[in-house]
Amino acid sequence: MTWKRICGTTDVAENSIKKFNVDGVPILLVNYGAGYRAIPPICPHMEEPLEESGVVVRCILTCTKHLWAWNLSTLELQGETEKPLKTYDVKQEGDAILVKVEEELKYEFDDESADDDDFFK
Amino acid sequence: MKITVQSKTGEAAFDCGIHETILHAGLRQGLSLPYECATGTCGTCRARVVSGEVDVRWKEAPGGARLKPEKGDILMCQTRALSDCVLKVPSDIVVVEKFQPAPRRGIIRNIQKLTKDVAAFDVHLSEPMTFEAGQFVIVESDKWAGGRAYSMVNFNAEADRIALVIKRKPGGRFSDWLFGECSGDAELAVFGPLGRAVFRPDEDKNILCIAGGSGIAGIMSILERAVQADYFRTHKGSVFFGVRTLQDTFYLEALSRYVAASHGNLAVTVALSDEAAVTPSHLDFPALQLASGMVHEAAANAMGGSDVDAIAYIAGPPIMVDAAIRVLIRGGMGTRNIRYDKFG
Repeated sequence: MTWKRICGTTDVAENSIKKFNVDGVPILLVNYGAGYRAIPPICPHMEEPLEESGVVVRCILTCTKHLWAWNLSTLELQGETEKPLKTYDVKQEGDAILVKVEEELKYEFDDESADDDDFFK
Repeated sequence: MKITVQSKTGEAAFDCGIHETILHAGLRQGLSLPYECATGTCGTCRARVVSGEVDVRWKEAPGGARLKPEKGDILMCQTRALSDCVLKVPSDIVVVEKFQPAPRRGIIRNIQKLTKDVAAFDVHLSEPMTFEAGQFVIVESDKWAGGRAYSMVNFNAEADRIALVIKRKPGGRFSDWLFGECSGDAELAVFGPLGRAVFRPDEDKNILCIAGGSGIAGIMSILERAVQADYFRTHKGSVFFGVRTLQDTFYLEALSRYVAASHGNLAVTVALSDEAAVTPSHLDFPALQLASGMVHEAAANAMGGSDVDAIAYIAGPPIMVDAAIRVLIRGGMGTRNIRYDKFG
């Protein structure tokens, strides 16, 4: 359990998304105005790269490929979205943004070791 | 063959013939199987074969790029059943009652070249088809491999004729054939209606349409439906039609007619990506405004606060659809208000 510096407070503009590599783990940091979310770099729907397909407006992150969307403040699923976002804990300390990375978060379609029951998760 | 689909909402079963895809079989029997393009490009209709034998006809389909064939993953739109099968489908499945798609035979008639690379043609159907404005069909022939998706241009209930538009693509077998050797009266297999990017007057909202090239087809059906219902007496509509140059425009007369029938509530802008618009409106069709630039930019520039509550319809090449979706989301529109087909 370790907090790692991912970037500075001025590195990710409001309503934008930036990809970082924290000890080999790819992480998107999303600044939604009221706070930050650190998430895996792909959409849980069809593995679209959210750094490119994602748009953040009024606390809502939308993957513009197939319109799955989440409220970043509450993590509520919006519209027809069927899977939740996974998130890393984030905190701000001084002018640094820190994330807690215990292991890389992956969605089930990435998990080669899982059995077939991963399909619905 | 019996197909059983397992989803988070439970299990459903349907019959599947030897000559039809699993997707078509489920849809025509009223199941809401997931799909967007139904032609192998989007990947939305993925499923996992738990048991049974299947035949995948287009193994290189771009929509299948992220599947795991070794785990039995398939695209239902490209797969036929060779035995009873059990599939897992990763979305909610319900039974829908309205306008179930069905296979029909069709005869091509009345091919008309609209521009140097766009043609319109009619398909006369063996059985009338009722569809919603904005829907599409898949056409297939033994002259080329695989299905092609085309949106209906016309709108009427119990249609025995559908009007379609095709853009000539270099090396595109169907378009080469239609532009070249097809003399009319050729027979096709038609499956439809399909598509959820539909317009219904009872939704009671303003509409915003963004189309690129032949993507205007489904928008024409929506406008026809709206004008038939005198929808623009009480609602506003904006249409952005993107083409490269003035030479690439078509349907301007019909669009002008819709503007004239709109009580001043429908605005149509033709956006020219490859040449400057030198006049604010079209010289021959003054009811139509002109803009320079990409169609999604023209829409973004014109988007006002009230458009956020409109229903948006987007149709055209995938890259244009993606750009337009970004513009609308950035403009504050919610995902529930955005409807599109991305079969390009």
